[in-house]
Amino acid sequence: MSKVGRIFFPANSRHGLWTIPLLVAICCCVGLAISTADFVSRQNVLNLFAQAAPLILVSIGQMIVILVKGLDLSVGSVVSLTTGILSLNAPFYVTVPAAMLTAAVVGLLNGVAVTRFRVHPIIATLSIMGITQGAAMFVRPSAGGTVASEIVALVSGELFGIYMPVIWTIAAILVGWRIVHGSRFGLHLFAIGGGETAATFGIAEQRNEVAAYVLSSCFAAAAGIFLAGRIASGDPNIGTQYAVDSITAVALGGTQLAGGIGSLHGTLIGCGLLALIANGMNLLNVSAFVQTIVKGAILLLVIALQPRKSIGL
Amino acid sequence: MTSRSSLLRAALRIPPSCVVFAVLLITLWVLRPNMMNPAILGTFARQVVPLGIVVLGQLLVISSRSIDLSAGGIILLVNYLISSGLLYSWPLLPIILLCLGVGLAVGLVNGLLVGKRRASAVIVTLAINIVLIGLVEYLANGKPPGDVPAEFRALYNLRFWTIPAPVMFWIALAGIMSAFLGASVFGRFVWSIGSNPTSAYFSGVPVERTVVAAHVIAGLMSAVAALVQTSSIAVGSVRFGPELVMNSIAATILGGVVFGRPAEVWGPFVGVLCFALLFVVMTTMGVQEPGKLIVQGLIILLAAIFYGLRSKSN
Repeated sequence: MSKVGRIFFPANSRHGLWTIPLLVAICCCVGLAISTADFVSRQNVLNLFAQAAPLILVSIGQMIVILVKGLDLSVGSVVSLTTGILSLNAPFYVTVPAAMLTAAVVGLLNGVAVTRFRVHPIIATLSIMGITQGAAMFVRPSAGGTVASEIVALVSGELFGIYMPVIWTIAAILVGWRIVHGSRFGLHLFAIGGGETAATFGIAEQRNEVAAYVLSSCFAAAAGIFLAGRIASGDPNIGTQYAVDSITAVALGGTQLAGGIGSLHGTLIGCGLLALIANGMNLLNVSAFVQTIVKGAILLLVIALQPRKSIGL
Repeated sequence: MTSRSSLLRAALRIPPSCVVFAVLLITLWVLRPNMMNPAILGTFARQVVPLGIVVLGQLLVISSRSIDLSAGGIILLVNYLISSGLLYSWPLLPIILLCLGVGLAVGLVNGLLVGKRRASAVIVTLAINIVLIGLVEYLANGKPPGDVPAEFRALYNLRFWTIPAPVMFWIALAGIMSAFLGASVFGRFVWSIGSNPTSAYFSGVPVERTVVAAHVIAGLMSAVAALVQTSSIAVGSVRFGPELVMNSIAATILGGVVFGRPAEVWGPFVGVLCFALLFVVMTTMGVQEPGKLIVQGLIILLAAIFYGLRSKSN
């Protein structure tokens, strides 16, 4: 294979095929810039960042779980529950730790159910999703409430002339990079997802898996804090789409759902591509219902193209 | 010692649904003795008939180590087809056949993607569900559809003695499914894939084809459930599905069918009845929607943990 070919189709890459989605994303950008007048405007680019930031946060957590052969369906309800807790009438230094702690407990429950009790990740996180969603509706039965002004300030406006969602995105990328590609823990994630012999090489498999689920929930809670600040209130249904969207973004970025293969940059590209598609359809005035259909179809296509050995879940 | 462990093993073999059902029945008997009336209980059982029929398909799919989350989308689409007024001039039979065809087609797509393409069943059926919901919302343009033809209502309200017709239909369908799984080669295939897909494959079981067939039957069952569900409501509903899918998985697991265990019809059947009773008990105790979600989640989790622990001890 030629040198250029090897860059785009690396053999035996642990990072998965992220080059093709990158090319698609670039094509989308070029196409939208040509076909619509508003795409390259400053306001639209800022919107794009605000739309992508919570998805990026949730997807980084989702990817960490997928790397260890798991799947976290409860992230959406954790996002909803977080906005519910933040919109309670309490100062931010009470609600933010409370929300993070709750999320960590949810992640711990997921992890323990999967590792100690050998419940299939999908069943475990599906049932925990139901419980968390119930808790979210209990805390805030319908959209409303007010979020502490400090949190609102944290996501709106600018810092040193940089738009706040951009800062959130950069922070998420730095933290995600440190965890996935810059630490021993990250290497263990790949090893656990990659093969059954990981445990024999001295990796505490169960403990690392539980940590992956806890991290996923905490990233979802961070997305919840961002969203609560954006809408300045709580909403028990705001997170509904994030479970599916984050899985789509992770899969779009070349991460294998079977575990062991994936990358942070791939996930970022996947999130960017999803945000671009949504943004482009908005600019082209496509109905919201058609957008749902397109999103589902993309997920279906990406999944159907990922080769797997086993049949079923 | 041996007799005690064999007794324990026998107790573990009873599906959890039977235990939960007994507990709920006693709870209701203590709390509201006047509710223990066949006519009233029949009416409550009638409400879970769509769930019960979805479960008949779900148990096949789950015991062949797959899952079907697309029932909600199928029900929504069939519901829309019947109540949107597009087919008002059609006679009853073609409408029913068309709806069953929709279920078959969706089940076939699910099955081919899961069985032949080997895509992840959760993601495939989830995505199909999203596409179907988006399609119906696009067609209905956000508005709730219109009325359901009167024939459907009449069929739904029919009673044999005190037992409502839908409940009779459900019991008959479960009986057919049970007999079919017990007598057919297909039933054997599902059983063997459920216990060990690798050895099933090497024993010459057509694993791919069986998984596809299980998904097709699940799609068909969802369409049948959709017909019953549509008959139960005078007006078509726009939002329906997520809780039904979750309950169908919960009832199946509660009934003793989990990934890697052979298909059994009557355990999940009692599981569905548990949900009927659970709604009655929770409603009489004044538990609201959030509480119901929490209880459902807990039931799935506890039933799954129960099996997880057991497979570990074996």
